[in-house]
Amino acid sequence: MSVAALSPGRTNLHRFLSGYGQEIVVALSIVALFVVVGAVNQRFLSDTNINSIFAGNAYIAIAAIGMSMVIIAGHIDVSVGALIGVIATIAGTLAVSGYPIWVAWLVPILFAIAVNAGVGALVAYTRIPSIVVTLGMLSILKGGLISATAGEWISNLPPEFMIAQMRPFGIPSAVWFMVALTIIASLFLRYTDFGRSIYAVGGNMEAARAAGINPERTVIGVFALHGLFAGIAGILFATQLQVIQSTVPPNLELTIITASVIGGVSILGGTGTVIGSTLAAILFACIGSALIFLNVSAYWLRAVLGLMILATVLADMVRRRRDT
Amino acid sequence: MTAAKVFRHETILAVLTVIAMIVLASLSDKFFTVDNLLNQGRLMAEVGLISLAMTFVIVTGGIDLSVGSILGLTAILLGVFWKNVGLPLPAAMFLALACGTFAGWVNGFIITRFSVPPLIATLATLALYRGLAEGISEARSVRGYPEWFFFFGQGEVLGVPFQLWVLGIATAIAAVILGLTPFGRATYAIGANEVAARFSGIRVNATKLWIYTASGFCAALAAVIFVSRVTTTRSDMGTGLELDAITAVVLGGTSIFGGRGTIIGTALGLILIQALKNGLALSGVKGDGTIVVIGLVLIGAILVGALFDRNRGG
Amino acid sequence: MKKLTLAAILGLGLMSGSALAASAWTGGDDLPTNPLACDGTPAAAVAKPFDGGVPTNPPDRKGKKITVVDVPKLIGIGYFNATSKGIADAAAELGNVDAKTDGPTKANIDEQITFLDNYITSGVDGILFAANDPVAIAPVLKKALEKGINVVGYDANSTPDARQWFVNQAQFNGIAKALVDNMAKEAGEDAGVAIVTSTFTTPNQARWIAEMATYAAQCHPKMKWLETVEAQEDNNLSFNQATTLINKYGDDLKGIFGMTSVATPASAEAVTQASKCGKISVVGLATPNAMKPYVEKECVKSVVLWNPVDLGYAAMMVLRSVADGTLQPGATSVKAGKLGDLQVINGSEILLGSPYTFTKENIGQFDF
Repeated sequence: MSVAALSPGRTNLHRFLSGYGQEIVVALSIVALFVVVGAVNQRFLSDTNINSIFAGNAYIAIAAIGMSMVIIAGHIDVSVGALIGVIATIAGTLAVSGYPIWVAWLVPILFAIAVNAGVGALVAYTRIPSIVVTLGMLSILKGGLISATAGEWISNLPPEFMIAQMRPFGIPSAVWFMVALTIIASLFLRYTDFGRSIYAVGGNMEAARAAGINPERTVIGVFALHGLFAGIAGILFATQLQVIQSTVPPNLELTIITASVIGGVSILGGTGTVIGSTLAAILFACIGSALIFLNVSAYWLRAVLGLMILATVLADMVRRRRDT
Repeated sequence: MTAAKVFRHETILAVLTVIAMIVLASLSDKFFTVDNLLNQGRLMAEVGLISLAMTFVIVTGGIDLSVGSILGLTAILLGVFWKNVGLPLPAAMFLALACGTFAGWVNGFIITRFSVPPLIATLATLALYRGLAEGISEARSVRGYPEWFFFFGQGEVLGVPFQLWVLGIATAIAAVILGLTPFGRATYAIGANEVAARFSGIRVNATKLWIYTASGFCAALAAVIFVSRVTTTRSDMGTGLELDAITAVVLGGTSIFGGRGTIIGTALGLILIQALKNGLALSGVKGDGTIVVIGLVLIGAILVGALFDRNRGG
Repeated sequence: MKKLTLAAILGLGLMSGSALAASAWTGGDDLPTNPLACDGTPAAAVAKPFDGGVPTNPPDRKGKKITVVDVPKLIGIGYFNATSKGIADAAAELGNVDAKTDGPTKANIDEQITFLDNYITSGVDGILFAANDPVAIAPVLKKALEKGINVVGYDANSTPDARQWFVNQAQFNGIAKALVDNMAKEAGEDAGVAIVTSTFTTPNQARWIAEMATYAAQCHPKMKWLETVEAQEDNNLSFNQATTLINKYGDDLKGIFGMTSVATPASAEAVTQASKCGKISVVGLATPNAMKPYVEKECVKSVVLWNPVDLGYAAMMVLRSVADGTLQPGATSVKAGKLGDLQVINGSEILLGSPYTFTKENIGQFDF
């Protein structure tokens, strides 16, 4: 897709459409969903509901930004859900132990960056596939977290710690974060050398090396960036509610990976944008909410979700085939 | 690819497994007993069957995340066909197996016909099949199977658990197919370079379709054994099984990029994980500690393998 | 042809799906219910012979030091931390028990069975368990009995013949009555209510929902059930689901039942963040520590639960009595340390007591 976007001789509109095909499909799905569900039950369109859909799931979108970069670079991380659980626990522990709030916010993020840079280094220099390293990390983080906390909940969090519940200008801060980080990340990917080198490494590692890029450094950088986004997501996740569960949120990594992939990031690496992954995360949140509004029997909820994912993917595949 | 190269990782793994066995046996005198080892064989049969097919899938460069969900769906259908539709149990078993196999075929069809990357296709069917299992069963369990049915999961033949025979025979068949037949060579060729395989006249799509169908069948077979072992059906059966199977396969030295891997490696990977889970528990390590150890072993084993590769290579 | 097969299989699947009887409230199971009388008259106790299992040739453990393993549904949640604490307390008090808790990190039948199997092989004297599935766990428990191991369940039962005794925290119909009565009192007799549960496959929750449906139909017929949603044992998901319910039903929603110790505080949080305190009542099962902020702010008026620390304590005490041979089939009560005499019901169950309702007045006294 990015190759098509760069190829000369097409009209701007055409270039735009083929560059952002999947993003447009996802965005249209969101619009369609709002129209249909809104027609059935107007409360779906109320600002409180839209706020809760966005605010309650912003951390997934933010984690999906980092995940998208990792996938664009040709890698994957299945341990991100466990990492978010660990970050939330560290942040909560620091906050209730009386450290200044900024320490409770920053230290876990730095921890996440360090862990993921380590993963990146393992992946880059030993050539062990990232799925293997992160499968291992998943076990280590999950087992380690339970050993350390015994699942004890963290409560009595100080109110000023709850960053996700703050509402600058009436909009939940999680939404501000989601929008700002999506814009920054997509500008970064498009207009910086490092951003473009991520696509190059994911597209063809040896070609990237020949073009003067250091693939190892790029991979470590991507994982560290992914750690940064996972860290921010973890802090928002931790500050959404009054208690922190100190366990690994179930299936979170699957949701995040799915958001990236449905958003148009090719699992083969080299293509995709973070706008798509954010839109896809919003789409999921909307579907989850819409199914309750449409009275889909809760027993069939997951089947419908699966069908919708499948339909999105097939539509994309058919569209791509027509394009080429 | 020379034989020595193929078996390098397997040799390391075998040594590692033997060391683990010796250490675990010295930690607990309950570990290295015939009873315990046979029982462990019983417990690993379901993951084992799925891992065999998963090896083929990963060797082609694909992945199948939906196997746990297929297991759940098949289990539910078995119960529903028998109890609610009123079919005789053998017919219900046959039909449930057919449906599970069909679910695998659908995966293959989506992947080959629409060229959807396997990770995405099976991610979608992971949700879809689990959802069907929940919807069809409305989360109700089916219980009260006749006594003879429990043979598949709890019975013994010549003192060895029935499902261990199934796993053994399936392993032998899989090893022969992957190692010695044209089909096996086609599987490797697709994983090494799909385009080249296509140009050299290999029927890439047909081969992949067979493999994903087989993956569905193995998951369905595991479902029947599982239901028989635990005597009930629930729609959440087999959740997360795909990660266990992938861990075993990858630990066994199969490259996630495709083109490399053996059934022997997968079998060793399975045995090592099961031995660690069991042996550590017997020597007093708690479950959360065991999870950490398995993670470390996974990274460590692959790391050692990769270092050996590099030294040999230059 | 392929399409035909697909259609046939889908059709068959859907048919068989609808062939299953639907219950009144989604999320309940289809076992027979046994609602209590509306005014709380206790049902006449039916004497039932002992229907538990018996270990094969257990060694004489009277007064001897025994090793006990506790395998709850899952580890790492507040509720089972509390039961595990009770078990440890009892073991410390007894002095001749070496007890530890170990189990799966998610409520998974397969992993729980594997844990039990390993501990049977390692040669423990006693097993305490809370079953993820009453039937699935039965074969491995029977195996333990065959090896002469004492087996006692708590929190979530297995089939009776697979264990010796089961410590019942509170009867299903008693919980259902307490929840529905409190809801009717707080939200009104004709309130529209929704339920946030873990998953539809969790047996205890399914049982409670079924009992609640029958009890409400009988004693609070105007109460309107709107919807049941699943939220795993996941804080954030529970919060999102509860928020969606609030947004969807607006003023039609007067009450939310939280069926787990995770769902109830998350629902209370959703009501708080939606500024609906006092307009939407949250009634549910939860541990007091997680609920204190909401109860103190008067956003939640009543929290129903037994004391899980006591539950673990009682289970350990019962296991010791069984190992000592002081608790025999046919007994009508058992001594459980500081809890005093506990009553035997339903043949082989030991009743911890009635469910307890925490309110603003008493919640401060509890710490678990």
